[in-house]
Amino acid sequence: MAAMVLAATRLLRGSSSWGRSRLRFGTPAYRRFSSGGAYPNIPLSSPLPGVPKPVFATVDGQEKFETKITTLDNGLRVASQNKFGQFCTVGILINSGSRYEAKYLSGIAHFLEKLAFSSTDRFGSKDEILLTLEKHGGICDCQTSRDTTMYAVSADSKGLETVVGLLADVVLHPQLTDEEIEMTRMAVQFELEDLNMRPDPEPLLTEMIHEAAYRENTVGLHRFCPTENIAKINREVLYSYLRNYYTPDRMVLAGVGVEHERLVECARKHLLGAHPAWGSEAAVQVDRSVAQYTGGIAKLERDMSNVSLGPAPFPELTHIMIGLESCSFLEADFIPFAVLNMMMGGGGSFSAGGPGKGMFTRLYLNVLNRHHWMYNATSYHHSYEDTGLLCIHASADPRQVREMVEIITREFVLTAGTVDVVELERAKTQLMSMLMMNLEARPVIFEDVGRQVLATRSRKLPHELCALIRDVKPEDIKRVASKMLRGKPAVAALGDLTDLPTYEHVQAALSSKDGRLPRMYRLFR
Amino acid sequence: MAAAAAAVAAARSLLLPAARRRLWGFTERLLVGGSAGRSLYLGGNRLRSTQAATQVVLNVPETRVTRLENGLRVASEDSGLSTCTVGLWIDAGSRYENEKNNGTAHFLEHMAFKGTKKRSQLDLELEIENMGAHLNAYTSREQTVYYAKAFSKDLPRAVEILADIIQNSTLGEAEIERERGVILREMQEVETNLQEVVFDYLHATAYQNTALGRTILGPTENIKSINRKDLVDYITTHYKGPRIVLAAAGGVSHDELLELAKFHFGDSLSTHQGEIPALPPCKFTGSEIRVRDDKMPLAHLAIAVEAVGWAHPDTICLMVANTLIGNWDRSFGGGMNLSSKLAQLTCHGNLCHSFQSFNTSYTDTGLWGIYMVCEPATVADMLFVVQKEWMRLCTSVTESEVARAKNLLKTNMLLQLDGSTPICEDIGRQMLCYNRRIPIPELEARIDAINAETIREVCTKYIYDKSPAVAAVGPIEQLPDFNQIRSNMCWLRD
Repeated sequence: MAAMVLAATRLLRGSSSWGRSRLRFGTPAYRRFSSGGAYPNIPLSSPLPGVPKPVFATVDGQEKFETKITTLDNGLRVASQNKFGQFCTVGILINSGSRYEAKYLSGIAHFLEKLAFSSTDRFGSKDEILLTLEKHGGICDCQTSRDTTMYAVSADSKGLETVVGLLADVVLHPQLTDEEIEMTRMAVQFELEDLNMRPDPEPLLTEMIHEAAYRENTVGLHRFCPTENIAKINREVLYSYLRNYYTPDRMVLAGVGVEHERLVECARKHLLGAHPAWGSEAAVQVDRSVAQYTGGIAKLERDMSNVSLGPAPFPELTHIMIGLESCSFLEADFIPFAVLNMMMGGGGSFSAGGPGKGMFTRLYLNVLNRHHWMYNATSYHHSYEDTGLLCIHASADPRQVREMVEIITREFVLTAGTVDVVELERAKTQLMSMLMMNLEARPVIFEDVGRQVLATRSRKLPHELCALIRDVKPEDIKRVASKMLRGKPAVAALGDLTDLPTYEHVQAALSSKDGRLPRMYRLFR
Repeated sequence: MAAAAAAVAAARSLLLPAARRRLWGFTERLLVGGSAGRSLYLGGNRLRSTQAATQVVLNVPETRVTRLENGLRVASEDSGLSTCTVGLWIDAGSRYENEKNNGTAHFLEHMAFKGTKKRSQLDLELEIENMGAHLNAYTSREQTVYYAKAFSKDLPRAVEILADIIQNSTLGEAEIERERGVILREMQEVETNLQEVVFDYLHATAYQNTALGRTILGPTENIKSINRKDLVDYITTHYKGPRIVLAAAGGVSHDELLELAKFHFGDSLSTHQGEIPALPPCKFTGSEIRVRDDKMPLAHLAIAVEAVGWAHPDTICLMVANTLIGNWDRSFGGGMNLSSKLAQLTCHGNLCHSFQSFNTSYTDTGLWGIYMVCEPATVADMLFVVQKEWMRLCTSVTESEVARAKNLLKTNMLLQLDGSTPICEDIGRQMLCYNRRIPIPELEARIDAINAETIREVCTKYIYDKSPAVAAVGPIEQLPDFNQIRSNMCWLRD
């Protein structure tokens, strides 16, 4: 058959200028199905006869953003955002995550993430949940971060009622059977193995720098379940945690592409007066600790000479991440810090993508373009409701670790120096475009609505954020950078650390004028 | 000040571009950002309508299509966003190359960003970065794509830049020399990605001695020898009006786009003088490539049979079959992909780390198969279970499974079309493959027409007792010999 089509193609190709794809299949060999031929034998390039004519929607002008918020009697907030299209993304966000595990076994949030959408009072298994969602063209997902857990569903807007009912059941009535917990133990174990095996060490370094920056408290607690806790976490542990943290006042039901009134109605029906699986006793020991930034160093000595998973060699690298405390996303300085992070930018010394990836950011111009031996230099900004961390990840050959650390400390010190107007304008424009481009996708809007309402009970709309970004002046960058440099650094290092400067030296370099490491005088090397 | 979680979320996705949610976009590979683009799975269109009326009302904008006199097609969808994606989809890729110039299409894609008669490379980079836009390109075996993401207000500039880089590229000798090094470096990068390596081997064996068997990047000696004339020849032969689509989505007005297209491409892009270069024929050969390396921790392998081209009526059926096999990763645990019988079997038997079913289509042929990553000791068992599952599709797949897979396929196709870039991508690709954008109700009707019997028939036609192509890399001592694999393509009673 394929050979025949091919021959036909060759014949037809030369003679027609367009409409080739239609002719490509010429008169297809007639195929008869014993089922009676309901299956259309028409190429995809030709319209199928007898299909109803679609009537399309039109947009009138630019899309308007409007977020509506209602608080139910039990304290649960309902937030919605209108959006063009036939699908909606709806979910429950909870103030819950690894930062609240101080008095519990570390790893609970990790387990809950993996256990999400398992059997509940109404649904006998995860399979039943998926089947129910599939009827509405829906899929589900749960993600947890250090401070927030999100249960989300994307589905046809017509299935809203079912979706909210299902979400309520999944969040408040999980059965957590022994079999499910056993499966989760395996999945967590596998994820930990993969985390240590993957060539990209970014998640591991992020974990380490949080550990160093917030020594044994809040966001410094382990995001991933430590191996020794895998066997210890069971249903009782999980229920006792859920009792304290899965309470209505810590939740937001957010929806994108839904009518607010309908969402509120569904919320009243399914989330008001619900009796959770762990009983209705009041929460007793809710951790309200504020993040304590301590600074410090976390080191992991590891042989990275053979991280390649395949026959092609991968260079041996030592990774460092240096961070300083920035500020919480509730503070006004959050915006200048976000702009500063854009200005630092960076990425891999060899990375795909054309112009637009931040080629004129400082970590490209001053670091990667000048020091070709550097493999990577990237800036990250982690922000929470009570603190924030601005950090730079860099990697290079182990023999050049000292030089690499000094290059990064110098870049940090330079942030408090002169800010060029052109580079500032570029960083601001890029931050705005990134914001708007990310907000094209429904799940991103959902996350933004949910997180903002969870943290502040209101939502700053995209254009309001853009106005704030536009207002950032060179002095603002200088001011926040100088403030940041007065703090203690957090350092994470992974790989061969023979030549790693001491923590005190990194600290001295960051508080010096030129960012240089203290000279070392050694008689013998 | 109140939170700016949007900026937080935004920062995260910029800095970890790969961190796209697994579930929200399971066909993520469609959007290969790099330059070795390859679609593992051809999505169709959005769909969803239930009434059997003569009209269905959809809450999505229409895709408007206009053809210019020189054959260039302009296609767009306006969803009123403040940002947009606009790009050129060109019906030309590595398939149009021969042994000597293999790698030219990809080389050319690289050179597009190296300066034009109007703009130096630096001017171009500064202009794009300063407007907060992104410019990117990728080459696949049959298509070359250049696209820009920008604020909607910058649409005119984005179109002008795209027109400039594909029509007036300088192709300077010095830049060509410099780019050789970059492409060789990119080659090293590709070689560390084992999935890419296995798929290149799979093509090399399945389409041996034909154009589809060659890689997109080309062999090292070609990268070192491709010259300005090769690049100019490639442009003059292939970058012609009738083979190009200007597609856009997001906040774009079709009328404005049309005016821009006329202005920038109307007089310059010619149609073909004489004959259109013929599509080189490509023949599938059941065969294998083994690259045994016992030092590697895991075995990476792919097995595929010959499927059909983009537009073939059986494509939809094979996509449902592809969904029936599904994909799985051991960190999903037991629950994530229960609709796939294979996922249940591999999970309970601990047979692999991950597997991914694929249906890669080209104009007149395609590869339907599975890619898997296994521990050395489970290679044989895993392959056995996969082939047994394939035989079950051909002989005894049930109505309820098929119904579920159909639903899942519709859902995944639809949900993936979120944001201007995936939508623009879909418009551009469909215009090249089908010369139209398939309306939602039609695609739905096409999927609905499938039942267990059609799956069994179509699968039997393409899978049952067909000779497969196999590519395997790593500790694969356990991999059965080819004749054994071949004989398992028939039903085995056990």
